[in-house]
Amino acid sequence: MKPDSLNLHALQDKSAEALAEVFGAKQPKSLLDKFSSLGLPSKKSEAYRYFDPEALLDKTYKRLAYVPREIREGEKLEIVNGVVITAPKNLRVYYGADSQVDSEHYDPLYFLGHILSPSVIIIEIDGDREIELLHRYTQSDTLIHYRIVIKNQSNRHATIYESFESEGAQGSLVLYGYDITVAQDSTLRIIKNQTINDDAYAMIASHHVQVEKQASIILKTFDFGNTSAIQLLKVDLGEHAHIDVGHLLYLSGKAKRGSISQIIHKGEHSSSVQEAKNILEGGSRGIFDALIRVEQTAKYTKTQQNSKSILLNEGTYMVAKPQLEIYIDELEASHGATTGQLDKKQLFYLQSRGISQQEAKKMLIIAFAKTLIERVKDTRHQEMIQESFERAFYGKRIDG
Amino acid sequence: MTLEIKDLHAKIGDKEILKGLNLILEEGKVHAIMGPNGAGKSTLSKAIVGHYDVEVTQGDILYKNKSIIDMEAEERALEGIFLSFQHPVEIPGVNNAYFLRTALNAKRKHEGKEELNAAEFLRAMKGHLEALGMKSDMISRSLNEGFSGGEKKRNEILQMLILEPKVIILDEIDSGLDIDALRAVSEGINKMKDGKRSFLVITHYSRILDYIEPDYIHVLKEGKVVKTAGIELVEHLEEHGYDTIVEDAGL
Repeated sequence: MKPDSLNLHALQDKSAEALAEVFGAKQPKSLLDKFSSLGLPSKKSEAYRYFDPEALLDKTYKRLAYVPREIREGEKLEIVNGVVITAPKNLRVYYGADSQVDSEHYDPLYFLGHILSPSVIIIEIDGDREIELLHRYTQSDTLIHYRIVIKNQSNRHATIYESFESEGAQGSLVLYGYDITVAQDSTLRIIKNQTINDDAYAMIASHHVQVEKQASIILKTFDFGNTSAIQLLKVDLGEHAHIDVGHLLYLSGKAKRGSISQIIHKGEHSSSVQEAKNILEGGSRGIFDALIRVEQTAKYTKTQQNSKSILLNEGTYMVAKPQLEIYIDELEASHGATTGQLDKKQLFYLQSRGISQQEAKKMLIIAFAKTLIERVKDTRHQEMIQESFERAFYGKRIDG
Repeated sequence: MTLEIKDLHAKIGDKEILKGLNLILEEGKVHAIMGPNGAGKSTLSKAIVGHYDVEVTQGDILYKNKSIIDMEAEERALEGIFLSFQHPVEIPGVNNAYFLRTALNAKRKHEGKEELNAAEFLRAMKGHLEALGMKSDMISRSLNEGFSGGEKKRNEILQMLILEPKVIILDEIDSGLDIDALRAVSEGINKMKDGKRSFLVITHYSRILDYIEPDYIHVLKEGKVVKTAGIELVEHLEEHGYDTIVEDAGL
C-alpha cells in the first residue's frame, strides 16, 4: 500500500496485529481491537445494512498529510479538508491527543476515524455563545478524515451552526465526527445544514455525545440533495439529561441518505425526543434507523420517537425503523412511523381554490418541511435553511 | 341560468348516491337544499366541484352552458365555482395569508390581471377581516390549524369574499356556529348577493335561512330533487318532516 493512498477495503478481516502494521505500532490496541472485531462495514453489517457502503469503501483514495496550520482569526470556525484555518476570537481551538473515545460505540468507522486521526481538533466553548462552523472540501478522490472534540462549560448555553461547502471534491469520501461532552447543567445546540448534490463528495459522519447530569443537547440536521451520505450517532444520557433530535431529509436522484442512531438512557429522569421528517423523490432511499435503549439505571425516563415520510413517486424507498429497547417498567415511551403520499384532502382543498396541482404539491411539501425548519430559533439561520431546502427542492420537477 | 345539473348519476366507491338528479341554479338566486341524512347533499356539492371521491357515471353539469364534468377541480375554481367545505382541512405549515394570496393571484392571473404583492393583498384583506370579526393573527397562522369550528367557517367565508366566485356552494356553513358567528357568516354571504351570483346553501336547519333568505327550497331524497318550492316549504318541513315530501313525490 502506498503511504499516500488507502483502499479501505484492504482493511477487511484484518486482525488487530495486522492493522497495527498498516497504521503504526503507536496506535492504541483498544482501538485496533474494536475496529477489527466490528469489521469493515458491508451490506451485511447491522448498522449499515440499508446504506450499502461497499462502493464507497472499495476505492483507492488519496491521503492528505495532516499538518496543523496556524489558526487565523476569522468570523467563522473554518475547517478546510480537515484542517482548521480560522477560528473566532476568544474560542479555544487546538489540536490534541485523542482521549475521548467511546469504547462502546457500535460503528466500526467511528473507531477507524479515531485510528486515522490520532490528533483531534479540540474546541472548548466557554460562556454563552453562537459559533458558525464551516466545513469545506476542495480535494478530489481523497479520503478526508478528521475528528472534533467539543467541550462546553457547566451552566452555559451555546449553539453551533454547522454548514458545508465544496469545490472540486468529487469522488472524495469524508469521514469525520464529533465526540461531545455536554457539561452538567448546560445546553448545547447543533444545527446542521448540508446540501450535497451531483456527487460533490460522499460522507460518513460518526458521532458520540455524552450528556451529563441535567444537561441538554439539541441536534437538528437538515440534509438535502441527490448524493449519498450517512450520519451515525450514539448518545449517552445521564441523570435528568435531555436530548431533542430532529432530522429533515429531502432526497432526490439516487441518493441514499439518513441517520442511524442509538440513544442510551443511563440516568434516572432522562428524556429524549426524536423526530424525523423525510421527503423522497426520484429513486432515492431515506434511512431513519433509530434505537432508543432505556437501561435499568434509567428509571422515570420519558422518550418519544416519530418518523413521517412522504414518497413523491414510485421508486423511492424509506427505511423507517424507530425502535425501543426497554429494561425497566417505570417510564413513559412512545414511538411510531408513517410513510405515504401527500394528503389527498389537503391537496384537493388547495386545488378547489384555483391553485394548480403542481403548485399545491409544492405548498404541501414545503409546509411539511417547514414544521421542522421553523423550530430553529434564530431567524437568520432559519431563513438560510429554508433557502437551502427551496434551492434543493425547486431544482427538481414535481410531476403534476 | 348559471348552472344546470341534468340527470346526474354519481357514486362514491361502489355505492350510487345521486340517481338522476336535476337542478337549475338561476343567476342571482339563492337556492337552499335540504334533506335527510344520506340523501346525497354533500355528494352533490362534491360532484359540482370535481372532488376525487365522486365518480359521475351518467348525466352532465353545465356551467354557462358548457360541460364541466371533465374539468379539474382547479379549473372549475378558476372559472368561478366555490365550495365552502363542511369540514375544512387543517394544513400545518401553510401560512393562511400565503395560501389566500396564492389562490387570489391564481385567479387574477387566470383573468389576465396583475398579481397582488403582499402589501397590496393585506390592504385588500383588511375590510373583510373586520367585517367577519376575524382577528388579524388568524391570517398569519397555519391554514385552519387549531382554528375553532366557528373560525374555520369564517375563514371559508373570507376565501369566498376574496375570490368573488360566481357559483357559491355552502355545505352546512351553519353547523357548529354560535349566534354571533352565524350572524357574521350570514352577513358575509349577504354581502355577495349582488343579483349576479348563484348560491347553493346546503343545510339541516332553518336558522341560517332566516338570515340569507333563499329564493328556492329544494328537497333532496335518495339522490334526487323531489320537491322545489319557496321559503314556505321550510315551515312545512319543520312541522311535518321529510316523510310527507316523499309521499308528495310519490316515491
